[in-house]
Amino acid sequence: MTIKSEGLRKTLKIVIPAVLIPAVLILGLTVSDTKKAAFLIIAMLLLAGVLFVAGFEQRKTGTRRLILVAVFVALSVAGRFLPLFKPVTALTIIAGIYLGKEAGFLCGSLSAVISNFYYGQGPWTPFQMVAWGLAGFLAGILADPLKRSRVFLLLFGALSGCFFSLVMDVWTVTWAASVFDWDAYLAAFLTALPFTIMYSVSNVVFLLLIAKPFGEKLERVRIKYGI
Amino acid sequence: MRDFEAYNPITQFFYFAAVLIIGMFSVNPVILGLSLFGACALLFFGKVRISKGNCLFFVAMSLLPILLNPLFDHHGDTILFVLNDNPVTLEAVLYGIASGVMILASLLWLKAFSAVMTSDRLLYLFSAVSPKLALLLSMTLRYIPLFAAQTGKVQAAQKAIGLYKEDNVIDGVKGGARVFSVMVTWALENGIITADSMEARGYGIGRRTSFAIYRFRKKDVIFLLFSAVLFGLSLYAVITGGYQFDYYPTVGTVSASPVSVIGFVAFGLLSILPSAILLFEDIRWKYYQSKI
Amino acid sequence: MEILSVENLSFSYAGASSPALSDVSFSVKEGDFVAVIGATGSGKTTFLRMLKRELQPLGALTGRILYQGQELSTLSPRDSAMKIGYVMQRPEQQIVTDRVWHELAFGLENLGMPQEQIRRRVAEMASYFGIEGWFLKNVSELSGGQKQLLNLASVMVMKPDILLLDEPTAQLDPIAARDFLETVAALNRDLSLTVIIIEHRLEEVIPVAHKILALKDGRVFAAGEAHETVKKLREVPEMLVGLPAAVRISAALSKSCCPVGMRVSAAPEENSCPITVREGREWIRSRFGNQVKALPVAPDRFAEADNAVEVKDLYFRYTRDGRDVLNGLSFAVRTGEIFCLLGGNGSGKSTALSVLSGIRRAYAGSVKIFGKKLQEYKNQSLYKECVALLPQDVQTVFLRNSVREELEDAGIVLPDKRQANGRSSLSDLPFDLTGLLDRHPYDLSGGQQQLVALAKVLAGKPKLLLLDEPTKGLDADTKARFLSYLKALQKSGMTLVVVTHDTEFAAEAADRCALLFRGETISTAEPRAFFSGNSFYTTAANRIAQGYYDLAASVNDVVELCRANHPAQNPAQNLTPKTVQNADLKSAGETPEARV
Repeated sequence: MTIKSEGLRKTLKIVIPAVLIPAVLILGLTVSDTKKAAFLIIAMLLLAGVLFVAGFEQRKTGTRRLILVAVFVALSVAGRFLPLFKPVTALTIIAGIYLGKEAGFLCGSLSAVISNFYYGQGPWTPFQMVAWGLAGFLAGILADPLKRSRVFLLLFGALSGCFFSLVMDVWTVTWAASVFDWDAYLAAFLTALPFTIMYSVSNVVFLLLIAKPFGEKLERVRIKYGI
Repeated sequence: MRDFEAYNPITQFFYFAAVLIIGMFSVNPVILGLSLFGACALLFFGKVRISKGNCLFFVAMSLLPILLNPLFDHHGDTILFVLNDNPVTLEAVLYGIASGVMILASLLWLKAFSAVMTSDRLLYLFSAVSPKLALLLSMTLRYIPLFAAQTGKVQAAQKAIGLYKEDNVIDGVKGGARVFSVMVTWALENGIITADSMEARGYGIGRRTSFAIYRFRKKDVIFLLFSAVLFGLSLYAVITGGYQFDYYPTVGTVSASPVSVIGFVAFGLLSILPSAILLFEDIRWKYYQSKI
Repeated sequence: MEILSVENLSFSYAGASSPALSDVSFSVKEGDFVAVIGATGSGKTTFLRMLKRELQPLGALTGRILYQGQELSTLSPRDSAMKIGYVMQRPEQQIVTDRVWHELAFGLENLGMPQEQIRRRVAEMASYFGIEGWFLKNVSELSGGQKQLLNLASVMVMKPDILLLDEPTAQLDPIAARDFLETVAALNRDLSLTVIIIEHRLEEVIPVAHKILALKDGRVFAAGEAHETVKKLREVPEMLVGLPAAVRISAALSKSCCPVGMRVSAAPEENSCPITVREGREWIRSRFGNQVKALPVAPDRFAEADNAVEVKDLYFRYTRDGRDVLNGLSFAVRTGEIFCLLGGNGSGKSTALSVLSGIRRAYAGSVKIFGKKLQEYKNQSLYKECVALLPQDVQTVFLRNSVREELEDAGIVLPDKRQANGRSSLSDLPFDLTGLLDRHPYDLSGGQQQLVALAKVLAGKPKLLLLDEPTKGLDADTKARFLSYLKALQKSGMTLVVVTHDTEFAAEAADRCALLFRGETISTAEPRAFFSGNSFYTTAANRIAQGYYDLAASVNDVVELCRANHPAQNPAQNLTPKTVQNADLKSAGETPEARV
């Protein structure tokens, strides 16, 4: 069921951003009940994902680059089996820095999808995809300063931990409470604070331990592979 | 679940999407009840195992709105008591319960979805959107068990080499980082072999096609038609307000207008469709066997 | 019609000072089965990669490679991908996708083939290779042999004219390797598929090969019809090591490799060169008697030694409901000996090793290491100057970016530093790594990686060294050298326990061997008695000698026995008429001392 015709692909690429996204937004406004917000946000995220994927499909990606992205995603998912370590964010950041923003986004979002094959898919999947994906994307944009300054890198790691937590809190609130209001969000944020701190600390520790050797290894492989 | 698994993933995806959309758009108690019943029936007839951890998660997630809604939502006329100067209303409590049931039903549907949509089915769906992304996912899914197994080997090798201490937490963290570091090198360096293997088999020479073992059969068409009609009727009821049910300011009553009744029947049929197939095939099989 | 021809091919890697291949010319006819042989670093793999355009390394190439008379570089990408298939060494890393059926379809997807055609081809291939039973499986559930068969099938599905194989069985156990090579031979025989293969298991490949190409230092050393080429190679000691046992036996006993006194027989058989076990048996029986049935049994050097390892009634399983992988396993290893544990897949060899090294714990039974129970080694004391394990996959040991850092990390004193206080030093090792210090561990050959890993493992100064399949993927020459290092370690007082599939290696290395079957030891004996007791699970040399000589396990044993039975050795004995006929009577006066 691949979309075979080139024309159809192109049309879809225009239709989705120009028609579907506004349509979803308008639908969101007419269904004034805020409790549908969760559903609409998910729909929006999925559409954004489709857009990104269309771009990825269009570009030519070399075999070796494709392999490296697969290796990164697999490492970050397999890394979840290690005790104490949850390297997803750190690896996503590194992928963004060394392989570019697209690879960073892919690494983050695919890690979410795939690890949920093991931990269970659900409406939280798109949120995780966006939270991790954006961390990787940003790391790709800020690659140069992140490579230069270790302090900045660690700070970025800590902030991405917070960011992930903040995005996931949006999910908790929109999904669980019927009304999105700032009180509920604050409450969710406070309950999740220990987790937020844990995310940030583990990101910092992980980046501290692996960023440098990882960069060296990747540089070597890039030369060896000729990427 | 076998007889439902025999359908094309697109059929299955459409079905689950339809049920979830209707189920999540409505707080009408009849719809919630039907949705919950349908999900439970599918899990039961499909013999899906639900682990203790799953159970705990489901219960916790559905308790959340039951507890939170009365605390944050102060609409409704019937005040039960006052907490920290904020009224807790009966309507808010009931609405919370409805939300809880909605969440529970959705989670159970998702559980059934996960049981049916194995990774290769989901990949098939992905390949309809982007074959390249589907390939990337497939490669990653290939690597994960390989890496997991190799991680085990590395842990054992690093332990039995006898050079590193494992006395306390810091050594443990260092050990973990060491294992991870070995894995990274190993994965990156050996990735080149996979790249060679791909190029040797012509990857990147032109437009790829995407092969799938799933066929689109007659029964898929029938199932899709059926569920599309039922979904359409339900959607019509949603839009025209047939499923309308008010909790605020006071709890209303279930509408019995023709649109509502048709909508309830349609959604009821939709939600038990796969369970009915499972049950029917079970009976048919037993009948065939008794004939032999 | 020549399907492939190589004319004056020379190649240098980018940045390398000397060429990897120089002036190689060779041609292959349709339906040929070509074995490419040569020592590590002779340019075999480079040569094979030259023939597959997608895999040609970066560097300077001169000369021509013609496929069906057409320059390889002018083939369309589609033809190039389709017509020439390539299977590599490591089964795991060649698999791209997560499902068996998807892997089979991968190449056809790349060609842009429509669904229905792919469905047909994939179904046909799966039926031919017997893959139907695991068609829907996840690739991670397959055994190593199945994985490699899948790799072969997913290349064959593209219907190549030429199949290139680079040591496809190096990572497989002997049974899986035999199955794989038989499949390749059948493809060649039944479909007239042209096969060019690099392989260490010459025992199985040479009998089916039509042509042999022997490379040395990047040049063609010998090439041509298989039997003729083997005969030529037999005369060259460095090429001889990897050849089948029958060839080695005949070479040791023929004129060129032993002094005049030992020359065997006269024309017309003088030049005959046995290759298979059957030919080897005939060759020996027609030339040598068997009055001396067995060599004198050497005294057991370790009869008085204390036990280094004592395993009693060990039980182990991986999961609660699984079967017992170790099922009442008992054996003892005496201090100072080399002890080989043999057995098929799933016999529990590697599991036994992981229990001995404290990685896994048995649920019943006892293990004593140097008289002390395994559980009593607390806080890693087991690994402090006591036990170390060289894992099967030595890449699991490497952490750093160079051999130097790797060794320093292990606390080994390098030659340019002078504070040896008690730490092990590079010069203590029985082998030399100084030339490799600045290389990246992953850039080394398999044999070199093995040595660096061994150096790291030895840094903990173990008294008991455990080795898991140390000869996997090594060529004969590297294997022989590795064996000499193990012997040197033994001499320094170390006890070695080796788990291996490699019967030839065990026959030469071991002081005693044990056979494991379903988690228990079936037999334990010194190698000659051990292998003579087996009829199938044994060395090629033993199969050649079986029924004729007793207690012969290695090629050397057979050669010794033949010599002992040679009329020149025993002029006083009554010889059977046949042997007398075959003997070279002119040299009857030679003394045994002359042949050293």
